[in-house]
Amino acid sequence: MQVDFHAPYKDRVRQALSDPNLRSAVSRATDRMSDARHTSMDSIEGQKLRTQVRQMKEHVLRNWPEYLEQLETNLTSNGCTVHWAEGIEDAQAIVKDIALQNSAKLIVKSKSMATEEIHLNHAMEEAGLRVVETDLGEYIIQLADEPPSHIVAPVIHKRLEEIAEVFQEKLDMPPTREPTKMTSLARARLRQEFFAATMGISGCNFAIAETGTICIVTNEGNGRMVSSMPRVYVAVMGIEKLVPTVEDAYLQLQALCRSATGQNLTVYCSMTSGPRQEGDVDGPEQVHVVLLDNGRSRMFARGYGEALMCIRCGACLNACPVYQEIGGHAYGSTYNGPIGAVITPALAPEIGQFKELPHATSLCGACREVCPVKIDLPRLLLDLRSDLVQQGVSPKSEAWGIKSYASLMSSRRTYESLGKMASIGSNVYAGLSGGNIKFMPPPLNGWTAYRDFAPFAPKSFRHWWRQRKKLRGQT
Amino acid sequence: MSVRDTILSRLKATLNQPDLPFPPQDSDPLTQAERMTVTHAPGDRWAQAERFAQELNAVKGSCELLETETEARLSIISRLQLWQEEEQSARKTANAERAGDWDVLCWPLHQLQIESLPLILKEMGFKLIEPTDLHDPEQRERIRSIRAGITTVEAAFASTGSFVVGGRGANARAASLTPFRHLVVIPFSKLFATGEDWLAQMRFAGQLDAFVRQSRNLSIVTGPSKSADLEGILTMGVHGPKVVHAILFDDVHE
Amino acid sequence: MHKATFEQRPQRVALFVTCMVDMLYPGVGIATCELLEKNGVEVVFPEEQTCCGQPAFNAGYRDEARKLARRFLSIFGPLVESGEVDAVVAPSGSCATMTSHFFEAIFQESKELDLSHQAERLASVTFELTEFLVDVLGLVDTGAHLQGKAVYHPCCHLYRELGVDEQPRKLLDSVEGLEMVDLPHAQDCCGFGGLFAIKNSGISAAMGRAKARSAQQSGADAIVLCDVSCMTHINGILSREGVSCRAHHIAEVLNDHLGSSLTTPSTPPPAQADHPRRWGE
Repeated sequence: MQVDFHAPYKDRVRQALSDPNLRSAVSRATDRMSDARHTSMDSIEGQKLRTQVRQMKEHVLRNWPEYLEQLETNLTSNGCTVHWAEGIEDAQAIVKDIALQNSAKLIVKSKSMATEEIHLNHAMEEAGLRVVETDLGEYIIQLADEPPSHIVAPVIHKRLEEIAEVFQEKLDMPPTREPTKMTSLARARLRQEFFAATMGISGCNFAIAETGTICIVTNEGNGRMVSSMPRVYVAVMGIEKLVPTVEDAYLQLQALCRSATGQNLTVYCSMTSGPRQEGDVDGPEQVHVVLLDNGRSRMFARGYGEALMCIRCGACLNACPVYQEIGGHAYGSTYNGPIGAVITPALAPEIGQFKELPHATSLCGACREVCPVKIDLPRLLLDLRSDLVQQGVSPKSEAWGIKSYASLMSSRRTYESLGKMASIGSNVYAGLSGGNIKFMPPPLNGWTAYRDFAPFAPKSFRHWWRQRKKLRGQT
Repeated sequence: MSVRDTILSRLKATLNQPDLPFPPQDSDPLTQAERMTVTHAPGDRWAQAERFAQELNAVKGSCELLETETEARLSIISRLQLWQEEEQSARKTANAERAGDWDVLCWPLHQLQIESLPLILKEMGFKLIEPTDLHDPEQRERIRSIRAGITTVEAAFASTGSFVVGGRGANARAASLTPFRHLVVIPFSKLFATGEDWLAQMRFAGQLDAFVRQSRNLSIVTGPSKSADLEGILTMGVHGPKVVHAILFDDVHE
Repeated sequence: MHKATFEQRPQRVALFVTCMVDMLYPGVGIATCELLEKNGVEVVFPEEQTCCGQPAFNAGYRDEARKLARRFLSIFGPLVESGEVDAVVAPSGSCATMTSHFFEAIFQESKELDLSHQAERLASVTFELTEFLVDVLGLVDTGAHLQGKAVYHPCCHLYRELGVDEQPRKLLDSVEGLEMVDLPHAQDCCGFGGLFAIKNSGISAAMGRAKARSAQQSGADAIVLCDVSCMTHINGILSREGVSCRAHHIAEVLNDHLGSSLTTPSTPPPAQADHPRRWGE
């Protein structure tokens, strides 16, 4: 069963958990990427790299407005056009206008989370433009009409057989499960699109402030294609994706590649500083950079700035046991996994719009261990839970439960008598059902739906302690 | 107020909050002196060339190390011949109708600094395509099905088996991108131990900023195009070259 | 976090037994107490203690968490500061994390700096049981005996927040007769996660089943761990799934509470233990 992206959270999770193929596809892929990351970071001074990239990113955010202004100045003096977008609608409008002004009918796109965030494809298609995703994984899910389910591996949730079915159905591919044949077919089809497209769109992995340079990282070469072949090139970048210098860019590039896929470097890092000039053989005649806020400045003001250091490597998804069980679609948001559970509510106009996400984690901390910028994701998730409570978004029954628990635990007397009652009650109840409790009423039925619960001890530790003291004649 | 100013003033206001939990007040930039070099490639140029080959092989590229320019010339020629034969036999088996010309998309070959290479290649029947404007429909069509490209590099990094190709003037970006096979010729004088070394030298010479801007596009390339999107199975040559072969030759003779 | 170093061997410690051990697993508390006493450390049990407030903190209820944290500090703080005890020991990585990491943070948040400093001082002398036995007392062998094959599951708070991993492994390695084998994906969370186990019970249980599968793969008779919360979850899954393997708290292993063998029916627990409870008995 496929996860219905638009269903309520509980249904999405149930659908994901009841799909054995999903779990096996996701966990196999994430294990592979995790192992590769581990080996790659262990082969260098990995801790030092993480510390340094973090230091660099902290510095950028401390001087955020200045670096944005510097980037803007340098992009402009390089001949690029800079646009600022507050949210989804104006970002869509900016890109649509550029397309219309250039009479673009066909747009080729390289994988980009920022454009997923602003639902750009949908908006462009509504305006009568054809948008073709060119990353192989993105191409597949575009054909299948699904959103990506992983930051760097968008089609991680599909097995080869399922991908082959998509190709057979949508591209009339003869039946085959030969990956090389499928790749050749995609290469041939997409080559036509690259040569025909008027406009290319990409995201931006990082932008170098001192030189006004947009960097995109790919393994397939589609990033170079979209930024080189069409006449117009548009990069949509989150305003936090800044590095001060070229050397900083190279450092972060290596942290990104090692953390994402365990490569020393990805096959291509394409760095665009400006449009084609007189005498150049190729390259876009126009370079547009859309600086996208879409909640980032709000998230910063809310105190979640630490997560704005994220370089979108996906390592936290690969390390996350929750993500391994449910995949990306169950989160129901553009960004998923631990970082998605933090930034989705933190970016949103109201945190409560995504109230399930800060709870979609056991807070095990595996994410923090692998994060190349050492974002303290568990701590931020806990902070979000606290914000949800402050804003009164949490269920009333839960608030009542926690408040009663806190006041009962505030007195030794109530604590002890509660313990005694629970012991008697649970032992009688357990006795009736063969020693273990198999059912408890809501909200504790969440526990007994999947697990047994053994009754409280007949006598508590403190009982033993007092008995012993008595026996020893102490007072 | 413009969107730009709204965003910037919001960021400034947040940064002025005295008890903002993040980022720390004293967030120093990473200095040139403290920034680490991630991977190292010790040794002389030959050791570095060997390391380059090892790293490029590890990412499914291939490499030859040659002592002289003359050897490099021979290697380039025989590599192109080999590729031509491979392509032609592949076409025959695929019953393709057109087995005709063998075009090679290239940067102006004088850049390779290998004497009389263009002449010899032409004499051998290779058609060297040096486009002048790839937005011109005719020239664009011409390169669409080209199977091989030759370029040199701005720099190459031994520790990762990477090379940097620029995109200005007569150096078509397409030459290292659209063909199925890319032959990259790297004189030792362009080989650096690491990317960090190259950047440091450029910075020290005061050229880095201008170089990056004026290149319009710089691509750091590490091996042939690939993808793991099909259930983690590695497939090569998705959009860029499936074959990347590097010829390194000693033009320094230390 | 800064941990105190002891010039002299600590003489006396306060036992932070944790509410779950107190009410659900007194055997773990007894074993903890006896292990400390056997090794020459006097145990003080402040009877005023209840719960450290982690459930409230975990669920996002910071005011309620602070209420219980204040209470906790008022019980354990003076004991440490007066020198009546040298350290606080808890048979739980998770509750020790709450009191030694999160207390400080929640009082910083509420700008109650006195309390946050008090929490910090308390944190420097708060130890998880195995951490205390190995790092402070220098123990490697508790002299325990147990026949069978076991795996060690590193609970997340203990492993990632407190950085304690070698200590319990060392102690288990020296248990005579016990063969420790590798647990595949050992560092993966078992899926407990506090409120998570209720709110996202489906995911939590799926993670628990993955842990159970790993344990079965390893061929172990038992899973040994240092937190009874994770133990409750894992055993609940194992029991529901009909798997015979069970999780046990390390204190009971180290104090010979499990009988002579993991595979044969156990001998009765020591008489003075007053029926330390066992799963499913």
